[in-house]
Amino acid sequence: MSAAGKRIDAWFLSKGWSPFAFQREVWQAYRNGESGLIHSATGTGKTLAAWLGPLMEGASSTTAPPLTVLWITPMRALSADTRESLLKPLTEMGSPWTVGLRTGDTPASERAKQNRRMPSALITTPESLSLMLSQPGARDSLSSVKTVVVDEWHELLGTKRGTQTELALARLRRWNPALRVWGLSATLGNLDQAMQVLLAGAPGRLVEGVREKEIVIDTLIPREVDKFPWAGHLGFAMLEEVAREVDAIAETGGTTLIFTNVRSQAELWYQALLEARPEWAGDLALHHGSLDREVRDYVESGLKEGTLKCVVATSSLDLGVDFSPVSRVLQIGSPKGVARLLQRAGRSGHSPGRVSRVTCVPSHAFEFIEAVAARKAADRGKIESRRLLQKPLDVLVQHLVTIAAGDGFVEEELFDEVRGCYAYRDLSYEEWSWALEFVVRGGEALKAYPEYRKVAWEEERFRVPDKAIARRHRMAIGTIVSDASMDVRYMNGSRLGHVEESFIARLSPGDAFTFAGRTLELIRVREMTAYVKPAPQNKKLVPRWMGSKMPLSTELAMSLRERLQEFRDGKSEEPEMRAVARLLKVQRAVSRIPAVRELLLEQLESREGHHIFVYPFAGRHVHMGMAALFAWRLGQIKPATFSISVNEYGFELLSATSFALNRDLIGRMLSTERLLASVLESLNAAELSKRHFREIARVAGLVFQGFPGASKTNKQVQATSGLIFDVFARWDKDNPLLAQSQQEVLERELEFSRLQDSLGEMQKQRVTVVRASRPTPFCFPLMVERFREKLTSEKLADRIARMQTAFDKVAGG
Amino acid sequence: MKIELAGEELWLLPEKALYWPREKTLFVADIHFGKVASFRAAGIPLPPGSTSAALARLTRCIAQTGARRIVFLGDFLHSKEARAAQTFERFAEWRSQHAGVAITLVRGNHDDKAGDPPAAWNIDCVDEGEVIGPFCLAHHPEPDLRGYVLAGHIHPAIYLDGPANDSLRLACFWFGAYVCVLPAFGEFTGTYAVKPQAGDRVFVAADGEVIEIRVPA
Repeated sequence: MSAAGKRIDAWFLSKGWSPFAFQREVWQAYRNGESGLIHSATGTGKTLAAWLGPLMEGASSTTAPPLTVLWITPMRALSADTRESLLKPLTEMGSPWTVGLRTGDTPASERAKQNRRMPSALITTPESLSLMLSQPGARDSLSSVKTVVVDEWHELLGTKRGTQTELALARLRRWNPALRVWGLSATLGNLDQAMQVLLAGAPGRLVEGVREKEIVIDTLIPREVDKFPWAGHLGFAMLEEVAREVDAIAETGGTTLIFTNVRSQAELWYQALLEARPEWAGDLALHHGSLDREVRDYVESGLKEGTLKCVVATSSLDLGVDFSPVSRVLQIGSPKGVARLLQRAGRSGHSPGRVSRVTCVPSHAFEFIEAVAARKAADRGKIESRRLLQKPLDVLVQHLVTIAAGDGFVEEELFDEVRGCYAYRDLSYEEWSWALEFVVRGGEALKAYPEYRKVAWEEERFRVPDKAIARRHRMAIGTIVSDASMDVRYMNGSRLGHVEESFIARLSPGDAFTFAGRTLELIRVREMTAYVKPAPQNKKLVPRWMGSKMPLSTELAMSLRERLQEFRDGKSEEPEMRAVARLLKVQRAVSRIPAVRELLLEQLESREGHHIFVYPFAGRHVHMGMAALFAWRLGQIKPATFSISVNEYGFELLSATSFALNRDLIGRMLSTERLLASVLESLNAAELSKRHFREIARVAGLVFQGFPGASKTNKQVQATSGLIFDVFARWDKDNPLLAQSQQEVLERELEFSRLQDSLGEMQKQRVTVVRASRPTPFCFPLMVERFREKLTSEKLADRIARMQTAFDKVAGG
Repeated sequence: MKIELAGEELWLLPEKALYWPREKTLFVADIHFGKVASFRAAGIPLPPGSTSAALARLTRCIAQTGARRIVFLGDFLHSKEARAAQTFERFAEWRSQHAGVAITLVRGNHDDKAGDPPAAWNIDCVDEGEVIGPFCLAHHPEPDLRGYVLAGHIHPAIYLDGPANDSLRLACFWFGAYVCVLPAFGEFTGTYAVKPQAGDRVFVAADGEVIEIRVPA
């Protein structure tokens, strides 16, 4: 063993630890010059595994080595914590290495200092790394890098930020062909692929971290199961149980972390808990991505120190930081996916030897089954795969300008480099040429327009000659495009956070809404700021955040179908299934419980018209596309107008026209012939692409969001992405960015591939059509979903109550 | 569509221009000439076509009405960078084909920065407040004691809600008690959704037609 190895062993000994076998494996592999991916469910030991390899190698130096390790983290909020955990072994071992941070929050003075002399290890984000590549002299400052560690790789994989990271890694590899890259990832269904992407297809070592410690997934079951709602989203039926559970956990000295699926739900739960337990004020906190950074920091440090009793949070707390005092996680509503639930469970019991436990809190009866489904899928290792992006051209266009603004490039060289990235392995020379032409001459259409200039051939390389354009590009590097948002402030100027502009636009002064755990009244909007004051407690209006409708994963949906099958077979034993047994018995009595390979359709006549319910169990995005497709295809047979309603399990088509659901008709509905064209026709695809174009225009540098405190000249080159979309659609309709927009919309909002797969599956399934004489437990939530759109909340409540009474009569018999 | 305003007959053209037959004068607001070119100069590669399309519409307005004079109600040139060769050549060519039409430009906020058009184009440049007949010509839609104001600047549009969450946003002519705001004539210009008050009249230009939108009392 080397001297450095001994020093590290001694350090472990001094801590009373001994290295895990997997850590030794990584160190050895690292010494051999290998790259790889380390995965495990929670963070214990992955950081040291990746960090100590380079450290051992550099341990002989007595002065701080030049920049050797780049540590890429997806969240800059995590970077300070990462620095602490990297510094700890350094100082304790007396190593001369230095560690620095470089993120969007790093002050210019610090950056300038780094530019003069880089630390031995630099913690940075994908955006800041690209920014470094866009500086002249990038090669000089980065070519000493021997190792890149990508933390939380599963968060980046399958996103444009991940593609951006791939491109940056390719550049670093060119400068140092012996570069070693190690990824740290949570468990995924496609780990091999995750490593391939990270290592650009080169061989690597896949290392499993500490064997998963025990993760318990259970469910909070109310005492009076029979009164549990059959539909709904908020889950307040469980409020009292949740409060009691939090108290019980607090008695054992633990903190509870309550996860919701959307921010508005977190806001509502926070308020409801405070109303139910006023004495918790000060011990209960709220955390989501729209809150001001200071508020979030305060909550996070409270969690670390264990001073809080309970925190209500959204995915903003899914990642990273170690909150040891958290002893239990509660998940309100659907877990949506197995990996996601495991990730959230891992936020509790966050130290060796302790159990991670997540307790599901159903918001409606079907979520009892989802909890069992998640548990069984997790037991069997049925974890979701991350879908990868295929050659996003907007990211490529941005990267070309980034490199041109830095040290410049020669075409053949960069083409090879880009094609070396997993995401661009199929990039054709035509596509590449288009992208290059686009940044150099603005594309074919602009050949004769010399006033266009961005990238130009100068001094033997493609460069960005105009300093102002280069500066503007650097400001816009990155692929995160959030919804246009507005600051929320009190009249005295103190900032509460930000909400979507589109939401504020719907309010008038005097309207109330809940935000940051308070009920606020809008006073006025001025210059992208909504000024508010505390509102009287009587009126409530909840902000609706976008991007919240994450669909049920394929793995979870399949597991759910298997649970239904078990129920059919009389093999359900779980407490959750007992809780929902009554509902399933009603379903069996008035309709049918579908087997795993059976497609159930229900038909119902009501005063509203003819209802058709279809249950593919394919998640709400697929159901949205499928519902529109079915409605469109039915409309081809006989003119009709439909109201559509979707949820995670199925969809409803309501029409004044009746259709005989025979074998022939259903076959036509399920056809995959001309699928893409039909889906595009059935939905207003042009409108959807136009909305989505915002992201692409931003990434490809077509819209410029302006400098902070922009001068007038910049305002003259600002336009909405919608306007730019229109110009392209009219004058350059073959522009590949338009096609990209359409393709991304199809995948992201409709999960087109999954839709296609589902239709294929459904064609093979046995079809059962049930003519129900009254609403069934399966269709009830869909009808409620639609009512919500049409009726005021009060009438809705009445109506639900009435319908539920009708059910109770059936069930009581 | 014909309306009466300040005792005069005016025609609202679907091309998004206003015509005053008695004086054979065409009013056009916010053409933002060369906007696309200034984006290009800033490194944003927009395809060509919108300049020619705007000029073609202008030609159509003249042909249909027999206008002898055009008044641009401000924001004729988008920016300094708009003074790009192709854009200028195209307008110069158009101008020579319509040399018999008198052109007045009421300077707007963009024109202040972009500068007056070349003298060779024979465009009479004036500041806001010029009066012809009952009308006061302006760019900014602010009431003026000298007459009923014809203006532009805000690129007005109106939101229409239909059944089934259907909604439309359409550029519009917006007539208030003292001021009329014309829709932006330029192709590559955004819009600003306005909230008309009772008594205002609103007309949208859509699909080759001008349609009045009833404003709720």
